[in-house]
Amino acid sequence: MTNLTLWVLLLPLFGFIILGLAGRVMSRTAILTVALGTTCLAFLLAAISFLSMLATTPVSARFSDQVFYTWISSGVTIGIAPLTISFGLLFDPLSATMLMVVTGVGFIIHVYSAGYMEDDPGFWRFFCYMNFFIFAMVLLVSADNFLFLLVGWGLVGLASFLLIGFWYQRRSAVAAAQKALVINIIGDFGLMIAIFLIFNHYGALNYFTNGSGSTGVFNQVTAGGLPTLTTTIICLLLFLACTAKSAQLPLYMWLPDAMEGPTPVSALIHAATMVTAGVYLVARANPLFQVSPAALIVVAIIGGVTALFAASIAVFQLDIKRVLAYSTISQLGYMFMGEGAHNYSGGIFLLIEHAFFKALLFLAAGAVIHSLGGEQDMREMGGLRYRLKITFWTFLIGALAISGIPPLAGFWSKDDILSSVLAQATSGGEPVFYLLWGIGVLTAGLTAFYMFRLVYGIFAGGYRGTGPAEHARDEEEEEGIRHAHQSRSDYDIYESPPVMTVPLIVLSVLSVIGGFIGSLALFGASAWHPLVTFLNPVFTNPIWTNVPVQAPVASVPVQWLSTGLSVGLALLGILGATALYRNGFQYKESRNPLYQLLFHKYYVDEFFILVLIRPLLWLGRTASRLLERDVLDGGSREVGKVFIGTSGLLRRLQTGYMRNYALAILLGAVVIIIYYAVRG
Amino acid sequence: MIDIQVLSFFVLAVASTASAIGVIIFKNAVHSALSLILTLLFLALFYLQLGAMFIAVVQILIYAGAIMVLFLFVVTMLAAEARDTELPDRIPWQRGIAATLGLVLVGALSYLLFTGTAIDASAKASGANSLSLVVKTQGDTQAFGLALFHGFAFPFEVTSLLIVVAILGAMVLGRKG
Amino acid sequence: MSIPVSWYLIVSAIIFTVGVTGVLIRRNPLIIFMSIELMLNAVNLSFVAFSHFLDSVDGQMFVFLVLTVAAAEVVVGLAIIVSIFRTRRDIDVDDMNVLRG
Repeated sequence: MTNLTLWVLLLPLFGFIILGLAGRVMSRTAILTVALGTTCLAFLLAAISFLSMLATTPVSARFSDQVFYTWISSGVTIGIAPLTISFGLLFDPLSATMLMVVTGVGFIIHVYSAGYMEDDPGFWRFFCYMNFFIFAMVLLVSADNFLFLLVGWGLVGLASFLLIGFWYQRRSAVAAAQKALVINIIGDFGLMIAIFLIFNHYGALNYFTNGSGSTGVFNQVTAGGLPTLTTTIICLLLFLACTAKSAQLPLYMWLPDAMEGPTPVSALIHAATMVTAGVYLVARANPLFQVSPAALIVVAIIGGVTALFAASIAVFQLDIKRVLAYSTISQLGYMFMGEGAHNYSGGIFLLIEHAFFKALLFLAAGAVIHSLGGEQDMREMGGLRYRLKITFWTFLIGALAISGIPPLAGFWSKDDILSSVLAQATSGGEPVFYLLWGIGVLTAGLTAFYMFRLVYGIFAGGYRGTGPAEHARDEEEEEGIRHAHQSRSDYDIYESPPVMTVPLIVLSVLSVIGGFIGSLALFGASAWHPLVTFLNPVFTNPIWTNVPVQAPVASVPVQWLSTGLSVGLALLGILGATALYRNGFQYKESRNPLYQLLFHKYYVDEFFILVLIRPLLWLGRTASRLLERDVLDGGSREVGKVFIGTSGLLRRLQTGYMRNYALAILLGAVVIIIYYAVRG
Repeated sequence: MIDIQVLSFFVLAVASTASAIGVIIFKNAVHSALSLILTLLFLALFYLQLGAMFIAVVQILIYAGAIMVLFLFVVTMLAAEARDTELPDRIPWQRGIAATLGLVLVGALSYLLFTGTAIDASAKASGANSLSLVVKTQGDTQAFGLALFHGFAFPFEVTSLLIVVAILGAMVLGRKG
Repeated sequence: MSIPVSWYLIVSAIIFTVGVTGVLIRRNPLIIFMSIELMLNAVNLSFVAFSHFLDSVDGQMFVFLVLTVAAAEVVVGLAIIVSIFRTRRDIDVDDMNVLRG
């Protein structure tokens, strides 16, 4: 089995280094060659490795854990074992799948960015950061131990920060980047504590037993091994990190604001890959979660609640990227819900499909924005169906996919998850999953509704905006920055160049046919579930885990029930949106309190500003005033005053009169003489 | 019969003290200078009583004769009629403190000297170093001269250098402008 | 009876104190200088007394050297005083207070 993971990891790193050092002086062609070249090569190598893995027949042979470097090998025992940390890369079905998604979608988006960012003065910086991100994400998914997972975790957070705040002259962008970083740090905290606990209890950090000398963590996990409380705490801490990185409740607030970054960034990082790191982590740590059923239920519940919560907000948003952001949060909730129902491969399945159609939707939205010279507000759009033909059709395909309309990709994955959730309720015997299933179905309807609201809002009716040039001029006046989009004359709305539309087409094709790698058990073809078969060993084979996943499978009628209901509700949603918005989107501000609540995103940000930010700022200001100004500065000023006062007093001795000085000499002499007289 | 030595001592003591006080008391600077000359003379008599003939004469010749004449030159040139006690005193409190300290000083010194130990007999020079022996054999001036040019030749030469420097300094300082 | 050395030393101390007081009290620089000469002479008296009582010529030698140095010092000192106070009408040492702090 050819394992080229190391090169998949290093190529983007080289790209990053080259662009970082020399990008400023490189020509556009050179930059693109480096950036696109490394990403393309990385994808090709990943594909070669993937294909060779497919060709490897005994399933147990699809496991390759190469240790490249032993970093720390102290004899010092911490907890139960000496601390050894080594750097290695794992290549198994799960990581291979993730690699394909990351490098593949990454490459497509790189190509798109060549067109989208063409007018931006920070062209080289953008591709430098993007390559860095690819490197970090590859590290995250192919690391063979928790420590380097953490390194990759942190590095993607850094890449996210750099790319969200790419247009750093904008205060809002910088604030959004800071918000993302701060919230993600809470997650990193959870991950670190979990790692400490893992090392403390298992004496190792590597997932599986490799040559580094310690038994792998997952090889040690057995039912009844450690007390359930311990493993549950570990899993909950891991999930805390997932909550932050994958924008679930309660740490989702950064993702909508992250839309301040350029659209390709939103597509790659905040839709297709980085935010899926949490889903990957849960899947990778499935042995731990399997021995902590309580944690899994928490995962499922949070996933489900988040899905509904985010969908409800998306219904009334006006910024098209924000609608897509909340939609991402919602779909991620689905993935976690699936994993919580013991359907790990279902979660990964949705991850793959979601990468396709969400990237497609974001890139298409980006094309719209690009054509309109930077406009993102739906109120200023409309009637673009005939001007932006390719964009329209690809966007429509993406909307259909995400709504779960068969036979597009979203249908297969979403219903895979919904059926397994229902199966967990019926066959698995956990009633809370009934509620979750209901939430999931309802959310499907909402998803369809708001997506088509978006479609009609952008493409139907008449054009409500003022033209791309006007908008660009307004923005430039406001913020004094050079925008990535060139001003064009009014009503000069053109389709985007092929470098942008071809990726859209590629992604729509994938969104259409991509679903067929999933399971067709619904239609009785129970033997055709290639993805599940491929991924299954990671969750069941003894090489990977001692606590194999036994996902309850719903009976066919139950599956039809679930599928039928969700598709039905989706169609209802589409119909509703059509009825309301067929002739274009009319913005009416409503005084309805429910509307206000949803429109203002449940006032979550305002709540946090009030409860957290204001007190912290007050504390900082007061401390600064008290400690710095009064104590430190005041203290040193007082010390200075003491010296000045003393010197003022001493100055009086310098009268300038020679006779006084002579008197002083005499005084000293007399004192000495008296001293001798008294001493005797 | 009072010992003539003691009598002369007391007379000289009182007289020199009185003229010393006169130096600092007189308002007229010329009177102070003359008073100083008187003090020097009484001190010369003291030296005689102590058997230092050569030094006594040198004192009169040089100190009273040359140095004080120099003083008088300057006094008559600068401050003959000036009376510094008539000008307003800018630091009046100095007088009181100075007087007090003076009394304290003399009191302490006297106390120390009265209660001090007598001269250790072993500190006395003896043998060939004994001054009285040399004086008896060769006379006072010869004794002094032998010591000066045998034992103290180096200080003697250095002192002459000092005098040259002083002369040069005075010439430079005395130039107009 | 022989006069103990301490008597001479007390006389020397008294004259020395008189000289010190003169330096501190008077404001005419020439009189101050004269008081300094008084102090030097008082010390000379001590030296001669010790020379007599220790039966050694060293004391007288010292007086000789002090005399010489005093002469040199008077020369230079008077030159300085003359150069400072030559053009003034009133001579008051307190006029020299430029180094006031």
